[in-house]
Amino acid sequence: MTPTGVTLPAEGTLWTWTVQRFAPKSPPYVPPADGFRPFALGYVELDGGPRVAAVLDVPDPAGVHIGMRFRVEETTGVPHAKPVEEDS
Amino acid sequence: MTDVLICGAARTPFGRSERSGREHGVAAATAALADAGIPWSRVGAAFGGSDAAGLADTLVADLGLTGLPFVNVKNGCATGGSALVSAVNAIRGGMADVVLVVGFDKHPRGAFDPRPADWGLDDAYGRDGLMVTTQFFGMKIQRYAHDFGITPRTLALVAEKAYRNGSLTPEAWRRKEIGADEILASGMVNDPLTRFMFCSPGEGAAALVLCSPSVPTRDAVTLRSAVVRTRRRGSFEVFSPVLEAGEPTSVSRDAAAAAFEQAGLGPSEVDVAQLQDTESGAEVMHLAECGFCEDGEQEKLIGEGATEIGGTLPVNTDGGCIANGEPIGASGLRQVYEVVQQLRGRAGARQVPGAPRIGFTHVYGAPGVSACTVLAR
Repeated sequence: MTPTGVTLPAEGTLWTWTVQRFAPKSPPYVPPADGFRPFALGYVELDGGPRVAAVLDVPDPAGVHIGMRFRVEETTGVPHAKPVEEDS
Repeated sequence: MTDVLICGAARTPFGRSERSGREHGVAAATAALADAGIPWSRVGAAFGGSDAAGLADTLVADLGLTGLPFVNVKNGCATGGSALVSAVNAIRGGMADVVLVVGFDKHPRGAFDPRPADWGLDDAYGRDGLMVTTQFFGMKIQRYAHDFGITPRTLALVAEKAYRNGSLTPEAWRRKEIGADEILASGMVNDPLTRFMFCSPGEGAAALVLCSPSVPTRDAVTLRSAVVRTRRRGSFEVFSPVLEAGEPTSVSRDAAAAAFEQAGLGPSEVDVAQLQDTESGAEVMHLAECGFCEDGEQEKLIGEGATEIGGTLPVNTDGGCIANGEPIGASGLRQVYEVVQQLRGRAGARQVPGAPRIGFTHVYGAPGVSACTVLAR
């Protein structure tokens, strides 16, 4: 049997999160060119799918909360997720 | 099944010193034998290990070259628990009637430093900053606090108790009391956990002498059960790129339930407990996972002081991992040592009042392993 890919929905709800407040050990961590800044990360529960670990690309890590909608995007590194504007 | 007794127990001072991990191991083993009043030449088998400080069977150079079988155990956070289970089986199987169990370690400063490839993960997880164990602890309690109403204040109270109990424990590393406000203000590490809510990797050793009931003993405690389990599908563990949706399973829940079933006892009968407290959130969640309360009841129980030394269920009476640090190979046996001393009434300033009779210990660690014991006087 050859392994086959599964297409997952890209959007989902934030299941949990935290903020990486200190620079992880280097190596293996490679900080951005302009230096380490605290970043948010979490698990986005994709609609009808699993929970995927992702770096959360948000302007203010402290503003993150469980239940927020995110869209997960593939990158050259780990998955990243951006907030989805909710209909009001 | 044949009862197994713990007839000797000892630990070394945890923290940081000039001592090697192995020197800690020799000291703990020697002290446990002296506590039992049993000479090394009488020991029929030994099991032990460390995570990062070498092989336990090298201890024979100091303890004596008696020719006994000495099995090295390396099982992460369950190293002590796995050595203990092996010793129990050695006694029940008739391999020996007196068995030594020893765990020791010595780790460099700072958070543990895992490599992605060792966990079957792409290097990107290290490069992009997701190979950090403390993130997992933050995310697990973040979700739990959201679901069951645990406040940051309660997380601070768990650490405050740890430092208070540590101040009463001569061999603890952190022996200065720290108040909840200072713990909350100590700097966020991984939300909602602050710096003083975490334990640190350190050094130390603990050792136990086990024997069958036919061996003459003084002041022995009965090991009613000792259990090790690995995770089932659906558990939430460190370094997981993907988790299944739905209610997570818990290896701690599985191990604790098995330990109580084998002991023929329930959580409500326990007088003193040791629960893995890598950080404050872990102690909160493990109270429920090990069966001592329902999810969410911790907020009230901890606020009322139920888990204090004078409370209805004293937890981590020696200050736990938060006050003792976590030398991985020694940590689980330190817990058993503490409960043995409590059941013997030899815990000094931190003695649980009212002559506790039933004790429980619980270890949890990566990648989803748990070891539990039930002890009785």
